[in-house]
Amino acid sequence: MNALMTQVRRLTLFETLLLAGLLLLAAFLALPIVFIVNHAFKPYNEMFQFPPTFLVREPTLSNFYDLFLRSSASIVPFSRYLFNSLIVSAATLAAVIVSSSMAAYVLSKYRFSLKKAVMAMIMLSLMFAPETVAIPRYLIISWLNINNTYFGHVLPFIASPVAVFLMKQFVDQIPNELVEAAKVEGASEVRIFLRIVMPLAMPALATIAIITFQSVWSDGQSSTLFMQDETMKTLPYYIMTLTSGVNAVAGQGMAAAAGLLMFLPNLVIFLFAQKRIMETMVHSGVK
Amino acid sequence: MASVSFRHVFKTYRSEKKPSVDDFNLEIADGEFLVLVGPSGCGKTTTLRMLSGLEDISDGEIYIGDRYINYVSPKDRDIAMVFQNYALYPNLTVYENMALGLKLRKTAKHEIDMRVKKAARILEITNYLDKKPGQLSGGQKQRVALGRAIVREPKVFLMDEPLSNLDAKLRAQTRAELIRLHRELGTTTVYVTHDQTEAMTMGTRIVVMKDGVIQQADTPQRIYRHPANLFVAGFIGSPAMNFIEGGIAESEGRMYFNNKRLRLRIPESFYPSLREAPSLRSVVLGIRPEHIVSDPAWLQHFDNKVSALIDIKELMGADTYLYLNVGETNLVARVDDAEDGFELKSAVEVGFQMEKAHFFDAATGANLSADSLRGQP
Repeated sequence: MNALMTQVRRLTLFETLLLAGLLLLAAFLALPIVFIVNHAFKPYNEMFQFPPTFLVREPTLSNFYDLFLRSSASIVPFSRYLFNSLIVSAATLAAVIVSSSMAAYVLSKYRFSLKKAVMAMIMLSLMFAPETVAIPRYLIISWLNINNTYFGHVLPFIASPVAVFLMKQFVDQIPNELVEAAKVEGASEVRIFLRIVMPLAMPALATIAIITFQSVWSDGQSSTLFMQDETMKTLPYYIMTLTSGVNAVAGQGMAAAAGLLMFLPNLVIFLFAQKRIMETMVHSGVK
Repeated sequence: MASVSFRHVFKTYRSEKKPSVDDFNLEIADGEFLVLVGPSGCGKTTTLRMLSGLEDISDGEIYIGDRYINYVSPKDRDIAMVFQNYALYPNLTVYENMALGLKLRKTAKHEIDMRVKKAARILEITNYLDKKPGQLSGGQKQRVALGRAIVREPKVFLMDEPLSNLDAKLRAQTRAELIRLHRELGTTTVYVTHDQTEAMTMGTRIVVMKDGVIQQADTPQRIYRHPANLFVAGFIGSPAMNFIEGGIAESEGRMYFNNKRLRLRIPESFYPSLREAPSLRSVVLGIRPEHIVSDPAWLQHFDNKVSALIDIKELMGADTYLYLNVGETNLVARVDDAEDGFELKSAVEVGFQMEKAHFFDAATGANLSADSLRGQP
């Protein structure tokens, strides 16, 4: 306590103002999170109150109850969507980490012809919005005949230019001499990649993991376009249906509860990985 | 331990027309400490990397011992390499860093432990074995990197400017340690540097390179005393050798070096070799700073005296460097500190120890003096 007091007293006026300003800013940026949490526990009457309230007055679990139990009475239960989402997210995460880290290692540490062309293509593909490639993606998925499979969910995400780019920037920072020293020492390529490069690239791995997870976890497009079978669709798609059409009003409570559930994994992952993510952003010059 | 042999080795990068290493021929004896020295871009590091296997060989053959190793992968060449930036694995402890190579070669655990601890004792890094490289200073890191090479007990050590990242004091200290280490282990070592002091102090033999071509390969002393050409003469030695352009003319059976300001008599010992030279009209006289004398007691014995203007005076402690001006020619002389009284902008009489001088062909750069090593690669 004493130590804390002396610490506070040493702040100059400017630092105090800065601290206060930053705290205010942080509080402001935290508002959406506070809202999501509060909204999920609001009973119906509070949800549609005018003027709207920010904080919940009489918290209730009825939204969650509706989401888990009542919707389970429908043809496909909520748990099936959740299960699909978990499977797809986990598989995509693994696939993206493996493919982009290997691609980044080769692009960063190997000399081969057409390397620049490959890099240019990856950069180019960063420019396309997902909507613009929806039709080609659909054609490829149906040509491969992987509609209504988990692979159909995962495949479009595996080629992740952002992940490759971030990883490559990070692996570039690892001195070539480390790789060369390992080669002279007698390490195989696989071993160099797994034991030397990957441990050093952990911050970048954490970053691409969270970026990928966020986009997969909240992606409803692949369910809409490539999955005709209802049992193969994922959580984001289900949440969209909660508030669409006849459910526009009745589904609001469940949507609020689902919104919180969708948000929580992102929050948890970020809290665990935030230090690593900051490192990557600093290293790669991306802000 | 083993000898190393380069036979007509070339390296040409795809994007470049001129080879980076051009017809490199060299026999390195078992146990030798060979230093490759030259300015940056002279091909010395490329040569080392070809020997290590990190770089392909465009043409020619390399042998370690009797073994032809052009297509042998780096890990099977039985070499250990020390890099300029240490290249320690930051996620492993010092011990693990040193043990990795042995572990990959499936050495028995107790053997690894024994060798790592022995190397740590030699290099005095026993106290840091459990630390990560990030916690060490530059000098300590470089010892660990050396330790990693030593524990492998390879046939050849390859060192790529290992001291360049250290500060001057530590560099001198580590230099001495490397010499001691080589004496103790006796392992063939190929050492790359751009620092001629390192080359002179460490090498049992020096190879001076320029533009991918060997200029001269010989012991430090012979390279200093008998440089094969203008480039070697200018590169080795600090301060650098003085060069004076002019011509050699013979009159009444005596040879003189002439230019606008100077007329210096050439000692008779040079005559036979100079008479063999294709042309003496355009030559460069090379004389080291320590062979320009200003001591009056000495000067009276000299024929070749000249009056010069003191431009700059550098006090180095034991020596003083005088930057002299003789007409359009600038010279550096090394004089004893004891000889005080060199006033700036004042005239001083200096003498040339001509028997220590060199004469180079101005066009080809070749050393025309007899005792130099013409015919060497």
